[in-house]
Amino acid sequence: MKKKRMDYILFFLSLLICIFGIIMIYSASSIWAEFKFNDAFKYVKQQTLFFLIGIIVILITTKLDLSILKKKANLILAICFILLLLVLIPGIGTVRNGSRSWFGIGGLGIQPSEFAKIGLIIFTSKYLANNKKNMKDVKKGALPIFLVIAVFFLLIMLEPDFGTAMVITLTLVCLIFVSGLKISFFVKLGIVGILGIVGLIIAAPYRMERIVSFLNPWSDPLGSGYQIIQSLYAIGPGGLLGQGFMKSRQKHFYLPEPQTDFIFSIISEEFGFLGVIIVCTFFFIIFYRMLKIALKCNDLFYKYLVFGLAFGLLIQASLNLAVVVGLIPVTGVTLPFFSYGGSSLLVSMLSVGIVLNISKNN
Amino acid sequence: MFFSEIHERIRFVFLISIIILIAIIIKVFYIQVFSYQKLNTLAESLWSRELPIKADRGLIVDRNGEVLASNVTTVSLVVVPGQIKDPEKVAHDLSDILQTNYQDMLNHVTKSTSIERVHPEGRRLSYDIAEKINALNYDGVYLLKESKRYYPYETVLSHVLGYVGIDNQGLSGLELYYDDYLTGADGAIKYFSDGKGNKLELTEVYEAPTSGITLKLSIDINLQLAIENELDNAMTKYNPEQGLIMAMNPKTGEILAMASRPNFNSNNYQAYQSEIINRNLPIWMTYEPGSTFKIITLSAALEEKTINLFEDMYFDGGSINVDGATIHCWKAGGHGSQTMLQVVENSCNPGFVHIGETLGTETLMSYINKYGFGKKTGIDLNGESSGILFDVNKMGPVELATTSFGQGISVTPIQQIRAVSAAINGGNLYTPYIVKSFLESETNTLIKEVTPKLIGKPISAETSALVRYALESVVANGSGKNAYIENYRVGGKTGTAQKVQNGHYLDGNYILSFIGFLPANDPDIIVYVAIDNPKGVTQYGGVVSAPIAKNVLTSAIDILNIAPSKEGMAREYTWLDKKYIILPNVIGMTKKEATKALKDFKVEYSGTGEEVIYQSPGSGYYAPEGETIKLLLG
Repeated sequence: MKKKRMDYILFFLSLLICIFGIIMIYSASSIWAEFKFNDAFKYVKQQTLFFLIGIIVILITTKLDLSILKKKANLILAICFILLLLVLIPGIGTVRNGSRSWFGIGGLGIQPSEFAKIGLIIFTSKYLANNKKNMKDVKKGALPIFLVIAVFFLLIMLEPDFGTAMVITLTLVCLIFVSGLKISFFVKLGIVGILGIVGLIIAAPYRMERIVSFLNPWSDPLGSGYQIIQSLYAIGPGGLLGQGFMKSRQKHFYLPEPQTDFIFSIISEEFGFLGVIIVCTFFFIIFYRMLKIALKCNDLFYKYLVFGLAFGLLIQASLNLAVVVGLIPVTGVTLPFFSYGGSSLLVSMLSVGIVLNISKNN
Repeated sequence: MFFSEIHERIRFVFLISIIILIAIIIKVFYIQVFSYQKLNTLAESLWSRELPIKADRGLIVDRNGEVLASNVTTVSLVVVPGQIKDPEKVAHDLSDILQTNYQDMLNHVTKSTSIERVHPEGRRLSYDIAEKINALNYDGVYLLKESKRYYPYETVLSHVLGYVGIDNQGLSGLELYYDDYLTGADGAIKYFSDGKGNKLELTEVYEAPTSGITLKLSIDINLQLAIENELDNAMTKYNPEQGLIMAMNPKTGEILAMASRPNFNSNNYQAYQSEIINRNLPIWMTYEPGSTFKIITLSAALEEKTINLFEDMYFDGGSINVDGATIHCWKAGGHGSQTMLQVVENSCNPGFVHIGETLGTETLMSYINKYGFGKKTGIDLNGESSGILFDVNKMGPVELATTSFGQGISVTPIQQIRAVSAAINGGNLYTPYIVKSFLESETNTLIKEVTPKLIGKPISAETSALVRYALESVVANGSGKNAYIENYRVGGKTGTAQKVQNGHYLDGNYILSFIGFLPANDPDIIVYVAIDNPKGVTQYGGVVSAPIAKNVLTSAIDILNIAPSKEGMAREYTWLDKKYIILPNVIGMTKKEATKALKDFKVEYSGTGEEVIYQSPGSGYYAPEGETIKLLLG
């Protein structure tokens, strides 16, 4: 195995995007932080801490022998499964924003579903690499892995965290699509998926409200349409060049928790269309670099792993952006690298670390 | 083979990703460019809070620019509950200063609204109180400029001007009729607020208020003061139930002065009964006009040529029988044999019954309609009445007879003065009006000028000249003598109308009126006086109202600068009257000759010399016997 240089463009771009994210978290959160904790830097400090940990995680990951991931894929998945079960138990898992999806540890929150995303990508990559001949056969190859995905999907939906469940499912479906399974299977899967979504809406009518409020947010401006209206009030007045850094008005108690899911609204408000282009370009370059690494990779497991991690980041980013600009209903997905949240940031940086390792070694 | 298939699918996924990212960018572009206006406006209204600054109401000025309704600046208390940090303390201190209930004040400062006006206890604060509140220096407590209406002449012209409510909204009179013009556009201090109502440290925008439009009236304040003064005197002298005087320019319909008694102070209208503040008598009151209405009957008969003023004779035996009913003349025993001119001079009722009969019901009523009776005149004031006429199809000879001399029908003073104006101004019926022009508040530049509105021509100019002649004759020789002004040509007609209550005439209860104009050959002003049930005086319009009209007309001579005339009719004298003699010209005479020529007068000399070089008053004018004539010798 020939030693290659690690992809420094990807590395520095990731750091740059994280720093931009931290700056935007400061701008977006300082008002709320000052109000809630009397400390404008409350969220920035925590995010910076996770960012530093994240850098260490990247550096360690690039040095590791990643074959352990392949060997221990089943164990990793089992741990994720147990954590997802534990988080559902009241007293162990805590409820935030209507979802029992957190472990509260010393004031910090850890989201097992974020880590399950990585775990499932590793497991699926290994499965696809080991069963490349069986994958032509739907019954032998595809069904078992889809069953695994379905189990995790249901577990996460019990929290419930529809956003993360959708990100994971879409990522793995893309990965399996790339592995070469028959197209007809995906068509059937699509039909099942649509029926499933209809079923979920019937099961929990608040999702229907979200869809209605997405179509016409002004039908319930103080209820279900509130977030998207406030987001549009941030993006619209931003114009082409924005209000200027720190000059957002919507962060002044209009947009709830602007440092999390709706941080992109604040970016659009302060930096305008220009800021939007920059953020989209960041994600595009990261995605593009990762695909290039995957394509150069000779080992099938690593190839699938990089694809999975790349799809994961891009799908999550796209879902978040689409929600914020009002293209799809509110789903509750964070923006990788930007949104405040330790688990989300660590998992994103861990993904980058794994890809960098593979770029170096394969 | 396997890898190439993977690559194909990767290209597909890659393409989809790019499409999604581009879709997001396009959507953002759409929001920020195409929806920008809409979203920005909506967001601005979400962010911005306004502290209103009240605009000054437009001024009301008289025809010469004298201010009749102005504004004084006051302040009022406004709180922004979202910015108040310690509501209990703020409420406590404010209720202390304003001496109001603590709980009420607490409700104001904690109300869940963006801006709360402390109403009414925090309105129109005095300087002292405003200073005390200012000294507290609390966040979220604001003192904002307000404008309060002030009427410098207080009770003068109050019914016409009207009054405004606490929010400066016009409630009556011109204030109500022209409220849209007088109301300015309020300004504001605009600032941006956060989601919790706190003021953001962003730019504060001051939008200056725009004052309302200035109304320039046709009213002359000096003439108005003169009629107010006359009314006050009449109230003291006769203690009548009501009284009114108005003056108009008969050639245009411009109201020059208008007043009623009882009246009120526009600054303090709440202290008066609603009957008093709501009844602008010259346009509201309806009553039987009495003899002043004979001018209408006369003009119709002259226009139709059913009588000849100078040649036709009528014998008044004291009463006339109409269809079995006996109608008496006011003069017991009657006026005997009279020309038609004397019928007018004497205001002889049977004579006018005769004139009415020569016209017939339909012709007389068609003139009454052409003169605008039975309909509102359309003056620019609220609360006008229409009056009541007989239905022409149901009128018998008795109704025709009483209508001919002004009984049995009901008119408003404004209808009466307008119709008589048409009868004497050459035959033109105008819509009366009070607002002459609209001016821009800052620069006084003209926005709109109101022009006289001619709405009909009931009689010809020739007939009108005859009516003027007859009415000048009434003042010179007849019942209007008490309105005669030496060296000026006054025309007029008295009216004595019995009041009706529940369909019956009241005994000894009359409305005494006089309508007079000056100069009689080409009138510049017409005055109408009506005194309702004066006490302790002979109940004739000629006794009570004619002298009042004379005083008003005398004032008008100075105010409107009306030139004297030598061509008027000489007055007919009784032994009771002072004799007036035309002054001869003594300029150029010697002192001796002059003294002889002026034997009926007292003569004062000044200067040295033998020849008179100047005399005052000048020759040709009437002067009463014994008057002092000043001569300058040189």
